[in-house]
Amino acid sequence: MASTQHHPSHVLLSPAELAYLHDSLLLVPPIRPDGRGPNDFRPLVAETGILPGANGSARICFADGTEAIAGVKAEVERTARRAGDDTVFLEEGGGEAGDEREEDGEDGEAGPGALGEASGRKGERKGEAAWVELTVEIPGVRDDDSGTVFVAAMLSEALLADGELVRRLWINRRFHWKLYIDIILISPPLSYPLPLLSLTTHLALLATRLPRLKSEGDEDPFFDDDWAAAPYLFPRSPSRGRPAARPPITLLVMAVGNNILFDPSKEELAVADVALAVSVTSGASQAGPGGNAADASGPSQRSLRLLSIRTIDPPSRLTPPGVANAANAAYGAANLNNLGSSAQQQKAAEARTAETEAVEGVWRAPRGGASRAVLAALVGKVLEKGGVVDEVLDALEAVDLG
Amino acid sequence: MTDRRRINGPPGETIPPFFDDADRAPETAKGRFRPSNAIRKMFLKTGVTPSASGSAYLEISTSAKPGASGLKLSCSVHGPRSLPRSAPFSPHLVLTTHVKYAPFATRQRRGYLRDSSERDLSVHLETALRGAIIADRWPKSGVDIIVSILEGDQERETSRSQGDEVWEMMNALSGCITVAAAALADAGIDCVDTVAGGVAALVQDTDGDESQPSIVLDPVPSEHAKILAACCVAYLPTRDEVTNLWFRGDVPASDMELYNSLVEKGIQASRNANRVLVGCLTESVGEGDTS
Amino acid sequence: MPIKIFAPKPPRPLHRPSSHHDTSSSDSGSDSESDAGGGAHLDADGDIPMTSQRRVRLDLATTTSDAGIVTPGELITSDPQWMRGHGTYVPASTTSIVSSVAGTVTRTNKLLSVRPLRARYTPEVGDLVVGRIVEVQAKRWRVDVGSTQLAALPLSAINLPGGILRKRTETDELQIRTFFAEGDLLVAEVQQLFADGGAVLHTRSLKYGKLRNGVFVAVSGMGGGGGVVRSRRQVWTMDGAHGAGPIDVVLGVNGYVWISRHVDAPEPDKAAGLHNMEESVSATVYSSQNDRIDVATMREIARLRGVVTALVENGLRVDEDMVVRGYQEAVEQALLAEEGIEDVYLGGDKGRRLAAALTGAA
Repeated sequence: MASTQHHPSHVLLSPAELAYLHDSLLLVPPIRPDGRGPNDFRPLVAETGILPGANGSARICFADGTEAIAGVKAEVERTARRAGDDTVFLEEGGGEAGDEREEDGEDGEAGPGALGEASGRKGERKGEAAWVELTVEIPGVRDDDSGTVFVAAMLSEALLADGELVRRLWINRRFHWKLYIDIILISPPLSYPLPLLSLTTHLALLATRLPRLKSEGDEDPFFDDDWAAAPYLFPRSPSRGRPAARPPITLLVMAVGNNILFDPSKEELAVADVALAVSVTSGASQAGPGGNAADASGPSQRSLRLLSIRTIDPPSRLTPPGVANAANAAYGAANLNNLGSSAQQQKAAEARTAETEAVEGVWRAPRGGASRAVLAALVGKVLEKGGVVDEVLDALEAVDLG
Repeated sequence: MTDRRRINGPPGETIPPFFDDADRAPETAKGRFRPSNAIRKMFLKTGVTPSASGSAYLEISTSAKPGASGLKLSCSVHGPRSLPRSAPFSPHLVLTTHVKYAPFATRQRRGYLRDSSERDLSVHLETALRGAIIADRWPKSGVDIIVSILEGDQERETSRSQGDEVWEMMNALSGCITVAAAALADAGIDCVDTVAGGVAALVQDTDGDESQPSIVLDPVPSEHAKILAACCVAYLPTRDEVTNLWFRGDVPASDMELYNSLVEKGIQASRNANRVLVGCLTESVGEGDTS
Repeated sequence: MPIKIFAPKPPRPLHRPSSHHDTSSSDSGSDSESDAGGGAHLDADGDIPMTSQRRVRLDLATTTSDAGIVTPGELITSDPQWMRGHGTYVPASTTSIVSSVAGTVTRTNKLLSVRPLRARYTPEVGDLVVGRIVEVQAKRWRVDVGSTQLAALPLSAINLPGGILRKRTETDELQIRTFFAEGDLLVAEVQQLFADGGAVLHTRSLKYGKLRNGVFVAVSGMGGGGGVVRSRRQVWTMDGAHGAGPIDVVLGVNGYVWISRHVDAPEPDKAAGLHNMEESVSATVYSSQNDRIDVATMREIARLRGVVTALVENGLRVDEDMVVRGYQEAVEQALLAEEGIEDVYLGGDKGRRLAAALTGAA
């Protein structure tokens, strides 16, 4: 938009625009500037498998031209031995479990079902956070810019939170896959890039395939050359009546008053009272608190799991405030000139004292935090059964993996 | 991004010496020695750095083992001061936050350059504080908030602390928020309320799957067999508002109760820290009056 | 359905054979080698033929859709009767005119110029532009108008409150931010141009000034041949459908668009102490307080914004005729749509349908 912006997350809007935006988003139902419904996302164009040199890749673009590409590359790496690391080396029967995984791999179903049944033994297949390396490149921003680091930390936090992804990278007790996930935005972002990057990463991971393991046990791994036989990192088909596990997605939600909006644009974020990034995953999960087996009310129902929540500092706090007509020195100055300068000074003094009073139609940057009720409503709306997350996951699943 | 100007430690992974203390079995350190709804003892003092506009020092002891490593934070606030001429006009106070672990603060030595986890903490801290300060009172000015983590509250034994860094980061963040709020108040920067950090976690105490997970305040990772989820909250008590919320873990989405009670407990931890903060501020203001 | 994910469109074929033949047949026929396909072909000695393959365009009068397109370095004419305009240059010691940009050749009397297919806004004197203040200096503002240079708005080029003829004082300089501050949007006219392409704006008319009560949308730089074109009227008021009040549309020539609730000029006798219309209007010129706007008007403003975005996304020109027709079409489509008239979303297929209806390609 404005060509001279100093920071991509910083948006320059006039107080009158902000006041108008805020008022229209406060309506029930809210009127968003582009006419979307509160739960609607911007339409996307997506494709996968665009990079033949990567194990998995995806590209997503918005109608405004914003475009992200994610590439996933895997390398075999020796698992570091640690002193006193009993989880890997001291447990009996680890080799047996490894064999079982391999069998499943041949079926292309080394997935949740197998893990769920082997729940007693899955401890030894524990991965480490260091097995996944994620980088984000946003043009026009330094690599070590705090905003970029924050986005990258949020994305990798979601990928690592449940340990599901790293568990899939286990080859045997001596080796593992090291996964490099590189996400690149093609042009400077026109809105907060987190949801775009997250959805692209999700698709790239869905499309990721690892060569089929031929070796057995803890010997040096040996793989099948046939790429067509390579199983997906996240198997497509649901196994044994349970939905297939999926990589996490991170959604951006914001609130204005009591209205909750999904996938906010840059302008909408500029008037947000509060914005949250919520990471959710579906399907295979550890036997965690609450007994996830009981969660699934139907066989087709996903069992969603909450992985991470972060508050996004809304740029609304940095927006310029409007001046009410009553306090505006340039407003109706014809009157003031007649009355002399003392009246003008008095007006200015009144303006200072009236600082905290809200005037209709005048923009004020929000102060303070978000109320607990609004925060809970935001998270509740995201986690709603059969809600937006389900629809987004359905839509992502329908993307042809080519 | 290697630092060439200084002699750094070995680049690869090393294993720190492990001292086999005969009279102290590893199990003794396990287990929580305070009620699940109590936070650890906290020491807070403002005005420790005379050259800064405002400063504060925070120490949290690990109650289980006296003298053992705890969390030690020092914060200095510089400003508000006018922005450099080259900076664009800002109708608000421009807040810059720096969080840095001292190189010796953690098990793994930290470099002098800020790594990504430190930058991540800085952004969290900025979000937490920006909601608290009244930024439009200080147009065209900037303030720098620098938090040094002198001691990082980490277990010495590497064996059981794999993957605990994340939870330790949450504890560090809550300390950073509290100490920065004290330093901001010491610097006389207008705030809507005193913000303080609090952490609550959903923990499993024994390794068996049978035991029911419970929620504790101010969790120390080494005290529990497993942390399933945790949240760090920056809370304004008199306004009853949250300026920063950071949740991480793995809980079923259908169980909103669990999530809500976790946040609730985080707020409770923050309230506890806030009492220390307010006590410290009243004390220091009182001292200023008498002298 | 909250999210729609589409597969990418198949790429368009690069060479349309029919148009290629059109091009070569419309050529003056001076160069027979141009028939040898699109690629550079080799001579017997292996050299790539350079100038001989360049098509010479003299027949400027017969401008078919493709015929006028030139690329940088392409010879437009070697006839010395033509004068060189924008987007061209004259190589040393020749009289021929060569294109320096990719675009269409235009001819104004004896002046040859090439209009680039896609470029940033180039200001011209008299243009009505919408701009955003990005910097406030001691005696002037710097305004983003989507051009290569920031435009300047001197303090002396605005109507000061308290009458048009009031002299500028030091007090005005000190409180320059009370007129326009960073982020403020304004509508202005280009008054003069600097040699470097920078524009100087003025707002010395009641038509110009600070913008409020509406939404902004930038349509420049989106490509695809769409965008705002210079036309007879850049500003008009139209009636909103479904009980909405009148709506003002400002199409800045620079591609910045402002859509807002129409504000009637206040009654002269309403405000006490104001002698005439002009003064009473100038009182609200620097206000950043919005008036109360009813829901219906807000909805129709959002619909209009959607029409403008849909026009640009589908590569159509944005002018009064297209916007008004597009809006009527959108209102009609909304009446038939199952979502009802409250749904003002015009992205994705809805926008494509709208564009198809406007261009007549069903």
